Amino acid sequence: MNPLDLIAVALDALRANRLRSALTMLGVIIGVAAVILLVSLGEGTKNYVEEQFAGLGANILIVTPGKIETRGGPPVIGAARHKLTLDDSRLLEKKGYLFGGVAPVVLGTAEVRSGSRSRNVTVLGVTPEFSPVRNIHVEVGSFVTDADVEAKRRVCMLGRTVKRELFGSANALGQVVKISGARFRVMGVMERKGVSLGFDIDDIAFIPVRTAMDIFDTDALVEILVSVRNKNDIDSGKELARSLLFKNHNRHEDFTITNQAAILSSLFTILDTLTYVLGGIAAISLLVGGIGIMNIMLVTVTERTNEIGIRKAVGARNRDILLQFLLESTTLSASGGLCGVLVGTSGAAAIRVLVPKIPVSVPPWAVLLAFTFSVFVGIFFGVYPARKAAALHPIEALRYE
Amino acid sequence: MGSAAGGEPLLRLRGVGKVYEAGEHAVVGLEGIDLDIHPGDFLAVMGPSGSGKSTLMNILGCLDVPTTGSYELKGTPVSSLSPEALAAIRNREVGFIFQVFHLLPRYTALRNVELPLLYAGVGKEERAQRALEALRAVGLEDRKGHLSNQLSGGQKQKVAIARALVNRPSLLLADEPTGNLDSRSGEELMAILARLNAEGSTIVLVTHDLAIARNARRIVYIVDGRLVTEDRYRELRG
Repeated sequence: MNPLDLIAVALDALRANRLRSALTMLGVIIGVAAVILLVSLGEGTKNYVEEQFAGLGANILIVTPGKIETRGGPPVIGAARHKLTLDDSRLLEKKGYLFGGVAPVVLGTAEVRSGSRSRNVTVLGVTPEFSPVRNIHVEVGSFVTDADVEAKRRVCMLGRTVKRELFGSANALGQVVKISGARFRVMGVMERKGVSLGFDIDDIAFIPVRTAMDIFDTDALVEILVSVRNKNDIDSGKELARSLLFKNHNRHEDFTITNQAAILSSLFTILDTLTYVLGGIAAISLLVGGIGIMNIMLVTVTERTNEIGIRKAVGARNRDILLQFLLESTTLSASGGLCGVLVGTSGAAAIRVLVPKIPVSVPPWAVLLAFTFSVFVGIFFGVYPARKAAALHPIEALRYE
Repeated sequence: MGSAAGGEPLLRLRGVGKVYEAGEHAVVGLEGIDLDIHPGDFLAVMGPSGSGKSTLMNILGCLDVPTTGSYELKGTPVSSLSPEALAAIRNREVGFIFQVFHLLPRYTALRNVELPLLYAGVGKEERAQRALEALRAVGLEDRKGHLSNQLSGGQKQKVAIARALVNRPSLLLADEPTGNLDSRSGEELMAILARLNAEGSTIVLVTHDLAIARNARRIVYIVDGRLVTEDRYRELRG
């Protein structure tokens, strides 16, 4: 039998039972739409997190003081707990042939005051390397210079939020602010960076690292950021930093080196898993839709036993009957799948417009997968009823009223 | 039970029997049927209900296969064929006319007639054209667009005849074709069958009604699954 004729026969049968066909399709529509929507939510969340981390750089090593114990008991009392110092930072700079930049960081909070206006902000003591390593740049003016660091100059660069709070729209360059009571000249205003993981990067003041050590009365660094020149050297760079600091700390590993990529990749693994789990749960509803198709096809085969007998009497082969019913179930599931794709993608678009805070991103693979799965469901759940129809004995089928 | 006509028979049955497995008991449907049907024959199979005439009809039409004996259609032994091969023979060689019409209710008269051609793989335009010719042959051309459940009984049976004719089969099988018709439609129908036979169609008619059977050129009698002579038939039925 001609394939086109076969399709026409299947469509005819579906058209004869419009309401029933529509309801059966609804199960598949909901399943496919649910798969697409939930996967889109998962994917959107992943993209959101990715955006938040963007600019941090995947090739950055972060050296922090103290060792995160992954095994063993409580820390031994009296064990030397070394701090990270500028000495460590200089060593990494001098001997770290794999490194692009080494940026020691001192952290504190302080009141920044300009005239009558004041604000408690995070103050970072940094060197010029901080800007390229951390990918944060001044928008106007200049960043910390080596001379600033060496001479412990009282200069500062303000984040966008700090600048706005203290100066409004007025020019801040060259103005004097008081940080912890000391006078600082504003040399730069940072470019807008926004909020990253709930932390407002624009609400920071930057000052030279040695100046910060004086103000906060410390010689300890909160961290040393190290950028590795070549992304592929990230592991050997980590090992290099470890061995250099190990020697410098009298053979104590009292520091921790983490890298952004490792954190990110484990986070993404979790988010991917989340996406798959959501998609999998939605796929169950698609499976239920498939059972609905099988149910309706079994009813159809029983109702149309006489028709099957007639077709067989005039020369339909078992294969013709099998294909006819299989095509009916597949048409149901495929058109349900197509509608589901429309509902799912337009649903995602609607969420994006109506609730912009919820991140949704429809990945093409999910659309393709959901649709393919729906077609497969129609074939899988259609086989049994279709085989049952094909196996009917013509005489018994004709006798059935 | 030979035929008067000479030459190779269209159908040749030798010792054909059919046994049904009904639960624990085997029911004998047919036993020892010897029958030749030649091209151009118009044969009536007479018998009371339950005599096995429908079973014989189903075997002749390749809807079923005998459990014993041999059945040859145009020299092809049918008993050993696969269901797919039987379907092909039904499609090409046999046209059925049933007591209850067996039309597809949601299809128009034309599409019902087209059905055998659909499974013969005939293209759309040729299908419509040949189906129209067949409808014309039974005088129902003007009803081609009607759904079959909008037709009267007589019209339905004419559509069924058109469907049986459309693939130009070697054999027309009619199982109580007038059983659901009023007498006028019945007579009209028998006239059509007689005309088709006169035009060369080989027809086997199954009925319990002697008046209908008399339309045929030859009558065989069947009782309890066996062919009997006319005298014996009268004796048993009398």
